[in-house]
Order: sequence, then structure tokens, then C-alpha cells
Amino acid sequence: MDPVLSVRDLSVALTLPGRERTILDAIGFDVAPREIVGVVGASGAGKTVLSRAVVNWIAAPLAIRSGHVSFRGTDLLGLPPRAMRRLRRDIAYVGADPMGALDPTLPVGRQIVEKLRAVMPDVSRREAQARVIALLDAVRIPSATARFHDYPSQFSGGMMQRALIVDAMVSNPALLVADNVTQPLDVTVAAQVIRLMRELTERFETAILFVSSSLPVAREAASRTLVIDQGRLVEEQPTEALIAAPRHAYTRELVAQIPVIWGERPSLPAVPRAAGARPTDAIISLRDVSQTYRVKRRGSFAATSDLRAVRNVTFDIVKGDSFAVVGESGCGKSTLMRLLSRLERPSAGQVLCEGRDIARLSGAELLGFRRKLQLVLQDPFNSLPPRTGIGAMLEAPLRIHGWRDPRKIRERVRAVMDDVGLPVALYDELPLGLSAGQRQRINVARAMVLEPEILLMDETLSALDQTEQFKLLALFEKLQRAHGLTYIYISHDLAMVRKACNRIAVMYLGEVVELADNERLFFDPGHPYTRALLSAMPALEARRFRPEDCLMEGEPPSPIDLPQGCAFRSRCPQAFEACLHHPPFLTVRGARDLAACHRVPGAGAALLAGAA
Amino acid sequence: MDAVETFPKRSQSKWMPVRRKRARQSKNLEPCSIAERADPAPALAPPRVDVTASRSIGRRILDRAARSGGFRIGALLLAGLVLAAALYPELSGIDPAMRDIRARLLPPLFLGDKWSWAHPLGTDQIGRDMLVRCLVGLRYSLLIGVASVAVTVVIGCALGTVAGYFGGRTDTVIMRITDAQLSIPMIILAIAVLGADRPTIPAIILVLGLSNWPVYARVMRSVVMAERGREYVRAAQVSGATHPRILLTLLVPLLVPPLLFTSVLDVARMMIFESTLGFLGLGVQPPTPTFGSIIADGRKYLLNAWWIATMPGVFLCLTLTSINLIGAAFERARNSIHGGA
Repeated sequence: MDPVLSVRDLSVALTLPGRERTILDAIGFDVAPREIVGVVGASGAGKTVLSRAVVNWIAAPLAIRSGHVSFRGTDLLGLPPRAMRRLRRDIAYVGADPMGALDPTLPVGRQIVEKLRAVMPDVSRREAQARVIALLDAVRIPSATARFHDYPSQFSGGMMQRALIVDAMVSNPALLVADNVTQPLDVTVAAQVIRLMRELTERFETAILFVSSSLPVAREAASRTLVIDQGRLVEEQPTEALIAAPRHAYTRELVAQIPVIWGERPSLPAVPRAAGARPTDAIISLRDVSQTYRVKRRGSFAATSDLRAVRNVTFDIVKGDSFAVVGESGCGKSTLMRLLSRLERPSAGQVLCEGRDIARLSGAELLGFRRKLQLVLQDPFNSLPPRTGIGAMLEAPLRIHGWRDPRKIRERVRAVMDDVGLPVALYDELPLGLSAGQRQRINVARAMVLEPEILLMDETLSALDQTEQFKLLALFEKLQRAHGLTYIYISHDLAMVRKACNRIAVMYLGEVVELADNERLFFDPGHPYTRALLSAMPALEARRFRPEDCLMEGEPPSPIDLPQGCAFRSRCPQAFEACLHHPPFLTVRGARDLAACHRVPGAGAALLAGAA
Repeated sequence: MDAVETFPKRSQSKWMPVRRKRARQSKNLEPCSIAERADPAPALAPPRVDVTASRSIGRRILDRAARSGGFRIGALLLAGLVLAAALYPELSGIDPAMRDIRARLLPPLFLGDKWSWAHPLGTDQIGRDMLVRCLVGLRYSLLIGVASVAVTVVIGCALGTVAGYFGGRTDTVIMRITDAQLSIPMIILAIAVLGADRPTIPAIILVLGLSNWPVYARVMRSVVMAERGREYVRAAQVSGATHPRILLTLLVPLLVPPLLFTSVLDVARMMIFESTLGFLGLGVQPPTPTFGSIIADGRKYLLNAWWIATMPGVFLCLTLTSINLIGAAFERARNSIHGGA
């Protein structure tokens, strides 16, 4: 079969006044019809540039230096814009930013119709609309006819990404370039999107170039995978062979860095404590904590609804723990983070730090608490003030806490920079041009400078690629051993949690549905939601939980009108009568693990007690 | 204000975590950040560790600005004008109000046939020396222009920052006051206030300053609203910073400088307004000369003694050019330092 896309000797360079840097260096590969080809590489390897070059979307300061991109025998790169526009119906592109790709002021359906009529002017408006609705239905957007007229703000992230796939697929393209499409999505939604793409290749005979920064994700989708390192194509193999027997050193490293989930026990984080004995003194305890926000009701003038972001959460974090809170978008983990760091006070319940309610702290006591608990933020670009020198950034917390002697401050800051592996030469520099990993080190340093006992990691690693994550996790481990820190990870990345944490709380719709030690959670989860998360998790090994059994359709219900009974029942494959009426309570399973499900043995007793 | 009162407001829009992910995602859609990402650690230690690396950022901006030609020309010009305005009227011993009927309507040097070295810029209809009158006028214009812009910027930025940062009721109240102020035309306000009482210099400064702050308040509010939700503000809160500290040490230093550069242009506008007021007779009162009153007086003689009405304009033009040159040099230096050069 003739390849639908064939790239030969493609080189792209970044041209800046006075210098030039090669981004892609002599890349060559083919994509056959109906094939999904994965492209994997670290951030900065040139994946996005490659996917843009394939759709002939290279603009200054990037420039093509050599090579051909031929689509069904036509070289795209030499094509005049007019001819290229005609070809756009056959070549589609989906990016990683669904929010940025849709016009917020137009209904989603109309935007897709417009795109369709732009590439296929002979289609009538009515026909186009029917086609878009049929496709929206095909990507499982519920009540597609009504959703056709909704605005992007009324779509969730996953639905928007699916709408964009419709946008790409609507002209029946022969080639779809999917650039990191699953990155902004939750694992369960990402798994749905990947499954959808595989179906589409079969139904519409589309070939897909699936670009991803994560090898496990690419493995889910692609039958053949290319590995790109610093602009060079270093390896090309069928995906399974690539993972089983990587030939190039870089691929070997990449595969080795993917955390093992169910294999041999990965080394648990070294928690400095007496062997065997488990201290029971909780450093942070949540007692029945809830947080409710009032939000304006849509379509009304002044009416408000209660949004219950966190509901009756209770758990203890023991000193020296690496505690993880996992869950998907909208499950309340960010709210929980704001409660733990006392950016907000809970509307009910208490957050205790060493027995004291942090909501009541003020003045010097509050400063003392701040010294004890520090936050490391998610977004390496947003979380550093853009026009402050790095040294000044790190000095600020010290000044807040009453340090006055400039020499001592400077010494302390230098010590911390050294600790987290930042060159001290950066002291007077702006954070410009630093890589995400370096920026995240500054973030860690800013938290560490006060010598806290607890570090709250709010998705700290999720913006980094595998290699950077690997390095930072090693750093966290080192810091924990050196300073006896307690970590609280807020994360959606189960693989990272498996590697780094010893105790895990799984949240769904504002509730903790399962609380268990690492081993138990991954090998014997007590809640169907945990099983669904584990089954959707991209991994390189054989899964213990098959997506066919566990993966749920649809998206979580809105936290504004919560369903009666169990909040998870609408997506639960094992729901039964009792789930409809009675919310399950956290029930003890074994020594110290808890799950909130009626299916847990013994839950019935709790239910009866609750009913009585 | 207390943390609890301010945060749920924000979290309503923030509770959807998808939005945060988008912020991260948008990074790799802009062509320039492809460049940034293409190199894992682009400008780390090696390229920039030279002598400048050990100096503070403010210092580097100043140095870079000072190296530009525009800055030097502007600074020289401004220094010359300021020195002349400060010293020449006293040193020359010429009284700007002294009449000399015999030397009336003398043209500037080398023009016409009656010019004299005693009056380099000529004289007006009653023989007063134009150079001294212009320099004295410049004094007042500059004083009023700079001071009224300072009043404007201080009031506008303070109110805008507070409104944008705290939001909610504070914001509503401040912005309604702003709207009310905006609805009063400047010239009406000036006539009402200055006409009611004898116009003094502080009164003029206040009127000009008060009439213009809403623009600054609005701009400041919008940028602060955008910044306050950023994660580094949250990081500062968690490290224990109080709201005033966040405002004064984090947001104001970040957001005010670009505003200051545009406010330089406002100095020019204010000087023109001052002339307008002087022209209407509501400015600094005679016999003290100001640009406005000189132009107003010279207007009748425009055909046969053009220099009377023109000279203040020439001085105004020179001053404003020099200020703008300096401002632009700073702006460029700041942008290039913060842009990573």
C-alpha cells in the first residue's frame, strides 16, 4: 500500500537574528493509510515543530532547511497557499489546547460547520450541520443536537477536546495530526479519547500521526512509534518491540525511566523513622472538612447554588509520610490544597496541625504555621514572578519571617539554591529562559528556604516531562532524607504516586472514596473508581485491571447538583440497588485501609447502622 | 482584609482545574515558545555570566538606557532646559515683568533688522524679554505638569490596585467613584474649582491631577485583576505575606513601571492643559508669565510678531521631546533586559 504521508530528510531550523539552531535534523518516515504512528520525545525534542511541519504550518522564526513532506505524492512544503488550502480537507490537525482553539463567542457547532464549509464550499449549510451533529454523536457527546448550539464555556475540557476531534474529522481527512491531544485531559477521559481515535481510523480510514510526550500514552494509541531526541529520529519500531527491546540508548533510558507499577516493588521513599515502628502522631489531621462555594446560578439574576467542592473529608497525615491525594479534574483536590495551606478556611470541620485548628490561627501563630507548611506550585511559568531576580524571589519569604541581616539572608538563600541543585550564579538573574525543570527547582527552593516540616506539592511534577520528573523526584527523596520532611502530593498522575508515596487518598466529587497504603491501593483497590483510574492509567506493562471491565463512560456529575446515594453510581459498572439511595461511608478493609463502597465486605453493617 | 472574605470570590472561577491546565498548555502553541522549548536549558549559566551578572536588575536597566543615544540627547536637552529655567532668570537679572516701551516687539536674534543681543528671543508688545518670560513659564509648566501627573498616578494606581486586588464590594465602590469622576469633563471641573477661588499653583495641580486619575485606576485594576490569580501570588500568601506586602513588594513593582512610561506622555498633556487654563485666564495669574498667558497675549500680534506666541511652543516642544526620549530609552532598556537580552 502506498504511504499516505511520507517525510524525507526534513530539517527545520530556528532562525534568530545572528544565530540559527537546528530543531529538526533530517527526519524521515512513512505513514500508511489507517495506521496510527506514535511520535515520542522529551519536551523540546521538536515534536510540535514536526507535527506542524507535516501540516505545512511552519512560520518565522522557524524555517525549513531541507527535505520533503509528501502527502499522496504531492510535496506539501512547496505548495502555494491556495492549493494547500484545498488540501486542508484531507489533512487535519488537533492541538493540545482545546480551550485556545475554539472561539469563546461562537457556538461550538457553528465553528465546526464554518471550518467544514471553508474546506468544502460545495457542502450546504444544512448538510454540514447534519454531518457535524452525526459526528458529535459519534464521539459520544451526549445529546449532540442540543450541544451543537452550546458555547465552548459550556463544554468540559474532555468534551472540548472531542469537539476538536470532530472539527478535525469532519472533512473525512486522510491524515490526522494529533499533537499531544491527551495531555490536558484526565486519565479516564484520555483513555476514552484514545479509544475513540482507534475507532475513527477503522470507520473513516484515517491515518493518525499521534504525537505525545509520554511513551505509555503513545503505546495505548500507536502501532508503530518513532522516538525523537533533540531533533533527530533515533529509533523507529513497532511499539511493542520498541518497549520490549529498545535499540537506541536514548530509548532505553526513556523506557527505564517509566515507573514500574505492578512489577517488583519500586524502592519506597526512604522515610526516616525507626524500622517497623510506625509513629501515630499525626502532623496534619482533617476532621470532617467540607468546603462549599456559592456560585451564581446559570440563567438567573441573583440566585446562587451551593457548589460542594469538598465533602466531609477526614484523614491523618503522619510525620515523615509521603501522602498523596489523587483524583481527576473537579474532584476537589485543589480546594483541599487551599484548605490545607490555609488560603481558605473550611466552611465546616477542622484542619488540625499538631492538634491546633489552623483556621483559628492569626498573627505570629499563623506565621509559625506558614513556616511549618510550604507549598510548591504546579505551573513553572506562572508561579514565578516574571520580573524579579531569582535571589530576590528566594529572599522574600525570609524577609516576611523577620530576617533582617542581608548577609545572613544571602547565605541562607545560597545554601538552599545549592541544596536543590540551582547554580548560585543564577542569584541575580531573572528566571527568563530557564527550563521548566529549573523553574520548578526555584519553586522548591522558595518553599525550602524557610525550612518547613511539610511540603505541599500541588501537581508539582505534572508540567514536566519524564526525564525532569525523574530528576526532581530524586531531589525530593534526597531532601526528605536530609530534612525529615513530610510530603503531601496533590496529583492526578498515579504512576508518579506509585513511585513516590506511601499512603494515598483517592478523591471523587469532593469525597475521599478510598484511603490506603500504596501497595494495597495498587494491587487490591477497594473502590471501583480506583480500579477505573488504574485501568485507564497509561503504563508499559500488562494491566492488572482491564479497561473493558472497569473503565467508565461519561464524565463526573456536576458538584452543584449531586446525585442521591453514591456519587459514583452513575459511572459505576457495579452499581446496584443500595447505591441509588444510600451514600456509602468509608469502611475499614484490613488493618488500616478504608474505602467508601457498598461492595466492600462489612459496608452493609455500616449502612444498617447509618439507616438505624 | 481577611483571607476568607477574598478567596471564595476567586475560587468560583478557579475551581475548574481544567483552566489551570490550559494555562500550562498554551505555552507550546506560540511560535516563540517553541524556540524556548526546543532547547532544554537555553540560556543557563554559560552565555550570560559576565560582569553584568553581578549587578542588580534595576542597575542593569539604568546602564543599558544610559548607553543609548536617545537617552543621552534627551538627558542633555532636559538638563540644559532645567538648568536654564532654574538659573537664567535670576542670573541675568532681568525681571520678566519689566516693561520697556522703547524695545517693544523686537524680533529674535538675526531676524528682521531691529534685533538686539540684550533680548535673544526678542520682546513682546510691551517690551518684556521673551527668553526670561519663557523660562519662567517653563518653570511653572514643568512644575505643574510633573506634580499633577504624580498626583494622578499615585491616586489612580492606589485606587486601581486596591480595587483590582480585593475585588467584590471594595471594587464596586471604587469603580463607581471612578465612573462618577470620569463623567465630569476636565475643563468644566477646572472652571468650577478655579473660578470659585483665586487659582493658586497647588489648586491647579490638584485640579489637573484629580481630573485624570480614573484612566490610571481602570488600567491598574485590570492588570492587577489578571495578576492576582497567578500562582506566584498564592505562593507569597502561603509564605506568610500580608496583602499590603504582596501589593507593595510584588504587584506594584511589576505593574507600575510600564504605566510610568506612558505617564511621561501625560506630563506633556498636562503641560498643554496648563497652557489651556492659562489661555482661559484660569491658570497662574499675571504678572507671573506662563506659556498659556504668553500665547494668549501674543495672539493679537501673531501677524507682525509671530515669535511671541511661538516661543512658548518651541520650549514646550523641546521639553516634551527630551522627556519622551528619556522615557522611551528606559522603556526599551527595560523590555530588553526583561526580554532576556
